[in-house]
Amino acid sequence: MMKKIQQLGYPLFFVVMALLPALLDSRWLAVATTFVIFTIVALSQDIVLGKAGMFNMGQALFFGLGAYTTAICNAVFGWPLLATLPLAIIIPAIFGVLLAGPIIHLRGDYLLVTTIGFNIVFVQALQNNLGGVTGGPNGIFGLEMLGIPGLAAYQQFTPYYVALAALILTLFILRNLESSKVGRALHYLREDDLAAGSVGINTRVYKIYSFALGAGIAGMAGTVYANQYSAVSPEAFDFLQSVLFFSIVIVGGSSVPGILLGVFVMFVLPEIFREFSTWRYFIFGFAMIFTMILRPRGLWPAKFGRIPKIFTEKG
Amino acid sequence: MDIFLQQLVNGLTIGSMFALIALGYTMVYGVMKLINFAHGDLVAGSAFVGLFVFTQLLGGQVSVLVVVGVFILTIITIALLGFTIERLAYRPLRSAPRLSAVVSALGASMVIQNGIMLLWGPQMHIFPELLPTIIWDIGGVVVSLIQVLIMALSMILMVGLYLFVEKTKIGTAIRASAIDQDAARLMGINVNNIIVTIFLIGSSLGAVGGLFIGLYYRGITFNMGWQYGLYAFVAAIIGGIGNIPGAMLGGILLGLFNAFIAGYISSTWADAFTFILLIVILIVRPTGILGERVAEKV
Amino acid sequence: MAANDLILTHVTKRFGGLVAVDDLSLHVQEGQIYGLIGPNGAGKTTVFNCITGIHPCEEGSITWQGKEISQLPTHKIVRLGIVRTFQTIRLFSQMSVAENVMSGRHIKSSQKLWHGIIHTPASRRDERENWQAVYDLLQFFDLQKYAAHTVGSLAYGIQRRVEMARALAVNPQLLILDEPAAGLNDNETLKLIETIYRIREKGITILLIEHDMDLVMEVTEYLTVINFGSKIAEGTPAEIQENPAVIEAYLGSDDDDF
Ligand SMILES: Nc1ncnc2c1ncn2[C@@H]1O[C@H](COP(=O)(O)OP(=O)(O)O)[C@@H](O)[C@H]1O
Ligand SMILES: [Mg+2]
Repeated sequence: MMKKIQQLGYPLFFVVMALLPALLDSRWLAVATTFVIFTIVALSQDIVLGKAGMFNMGQALFFGLGAYTTAICNAVFGWPLLATLPLAIIIPAIFGVLLAGPIIHLRGDYLLVTTIGFNIVFVQALQNNLGGVTGGPNGIFGLEMLGIPGLAAYQQFTPYYVALAALILTLFILRNLESSKVGRALHYLREDDLAAGSVGINTRVYKIYSFALGAGIAGMAGTVYANQYSAVSPEAFDFLQSVLFFSIVIVGGSSVPGILLGVFVMFVLPEIFREFSTWRYFIFGFAMIFTMILRPRGLWPAKFGRIPKIFTEKG
Repeated sequence: MDIFLQQLVNGLTIGSMFALIALGYTMVYGVMKLINFAHGDLVAGSAFVGLFVFTQLLGGQVSVLVVVGVFILTIITIALLGFTIERLAYRPLRSAPRLSAVVSALGASMVIQNGIMLLWGPQMHIFPELLPTIIWDIGGVVVSLIQVLIMALSMILMVGLYLFVEKTKIGTAIRASAIDQDAARLMGINVNNIIVTIFLIGSSLGAVGGLFIGLYYRGITFNMGWQYGLYAFVAAIIGGIGNIPGAMLGGILLGLFNAFIAGYISSTWADAFTFILLIVILIVRPTGILGERVAEKV
Repeated sequence: MAANDLILTHVTKRFGGLVAVDDLSLHVQEGQIYGLIGPNGAGKTTVFNCITGIHPCEEGSITWQGKEISQLPTHKIVRLGIVRTFQTIRLFSQMSVAENVMSGRHIKSSQKLWHGIIHTPASRRDERENWQAVYDLLQFFDLQKYAAHTVGSLAYGIQRRVEMARALAVNPQLLILDEPAAGLNDNETLKLIETIYRIREKGITILLIEHDMDLVMEVTEYLTVINFGSKIAEGTPAEIQENPAVIEAYLGSDDDDF
């Protein structure tokens, strides 16, 4: 039964997501696009936090780095938006390596505080208009928007479908990760760092890898974000945003359905109940406490045990 | 030289406040291995409660008795709040995965921060002038009565806490629980009571810190807790988390560092420099200045 | 001297003021089943930690296959063919038995880092081959029926077997076992002895710590006894049983296993 639901779950989800724009007006389409983008960021955060078990509370930094890379290349250097994408993935990934390298050996909470620190330094650099290209507190406006040739009439749908394509790519990568040596290594070092080392895993390399991969995917989400708003500004990448992504992953249970649920609750519900907007974080705070007390492993805990059929068939 | 001395005085003032707040983090972390994210928001809450007690309960007229009253009532309120958080948000998660407790702590922080906003609104409030503005000019260096009071009172509280932890039976139990909770339990120490004690003491010190922030900076906002809390937590880590003298040392050092950055470089980069300092210290000494390094037993 | 010998010379390891291993020398020869015994707290586990790079020693040298390994990180030592189990079981407790054993295949897998993002026919084949190796190992340890079970929920004796299977998945030349019989019942201990012999038949050298003296006397060929970090005797099991210093050390402690 569960298996059936799982098999049906993904196709159904994608069909609904693909048809969604037909049902939504422009405000709700924007909400849906944001939902998809933040899901990608939360999934990228999950690689570091959920899979590798490292307390990273600065994922918004990499998201912002991608968005600003795109914005600067497009607005300042005049590159076509799509052409900025590779750089918006590679630069955050490189920063992932450079920033994680010196701090990766730190114990959980120390890592958490240093990653918050990186995030704060990043936002401060943006606000102080570092290098004269970040636009200071106002950010950068008037970016080009991706258009699909010949479909100019449907321009309003493009940001959404671009985001959806990025989400599908992310899920594809995550699936590959899960069934590879690298993905398992991340799980091993989360479960027991020392035992992982004792079977020959160079845990340092894999910890840095998880940061780089998570950063690259968040960077891609940044490009999509810049495309949606044709603008970027520092406060969207504040460390409080990182705190939300962190909470979403843990409250969700670091599984794909759990993360979708978490992003929905954090970012879509408030749009539905706008009259309660000042109560939003007050209620979320309580919700976070009670979820953790009632379901310490999250709403929809990730399942392990992805083993090939030979084991279950013959055994 | 003038700048130097001036920033030294300012730095010691800010550092004293950081140190007071850092103590709350470090004591809780020492025993529970948990960042009490709500602590910073309790500090912010303290400033608002102090404002409320002064203007609404005690009539808004400054006198020695009223000022003492503001301090006492505020400290009691915040200590009770700290106690409640421990009961509701942390105790049920003692044996849960570490990340669940972290998220619960973040939730508690959000609740308090936004509780303040719902009660007092999102705008900045001005903390009352509870002390006469007396300023001395000592050869070009300006020192205010408030600064002297902040430094003196913080010093007294910290020495008091240090003696309490080092010399009393409860203090010994606190240190024992910080080293090894299970062993402490086996030795007949009631760890639950110790944790409650720590929350009461930590929140009270945080409350004093919050009132000092109000007195010194005057402008208070509902979300200032994260800012001061993060700085204080960084101070605790720099000193060696879990280590009480370490938190004091870390607080003072960070205060001085910030003051000199503001004096000689620019305050717009203060956060950046603070975290760069933290990262450098952690690279050089991963357990902070006074923290001990222990090899994991296998 | 055979190529696959492990030689410790004058190894010393301190924790603060405590000298956990004190000027210890020993020589494990290829193909041996070598025992390291001593009362609780004697420093046996610490010797293993020094060999495997978990707590590198401060003084002395450790050579393996003629190469100095005392300052290498753990994961490099594993790549040289030395792998261990732990006194207190350290498995990946939320994961399945098969995945736990698969972790031992990590260094044998030919997958590159980028295969975590995109698969190729070669990476899929590598994946299949390694799972097959895991499958064979589960059979060797009679664990097939637990393949999909979460390891943390299994009985202690089974977990011990999983840990050994994980270590063997690395294809080691030297297997280091820290109290493999601790917590096992008589039946399981007998099976363990049989397993140890079967592992040796594969040509793997075994170095073990054990408190169960029946097991030690039965399986080991050579023994070193330590107390307070330093060696008090070495020899064949028969010689050790007669040694007055050893009897003294065990009687002097509250250890009644002997
Ligand atoms: N990581 C560590 N830190 C401090 N002391 C340790 C550590 N590991 C072991 N010791 C100490 O070293 C001594 C030897 O311990 P161990 O090697 O575990 O003994 P055995 O395995 O022979 O029972 C003991 O006194 C123990 O307390
Ligand atoms: Mg031992």
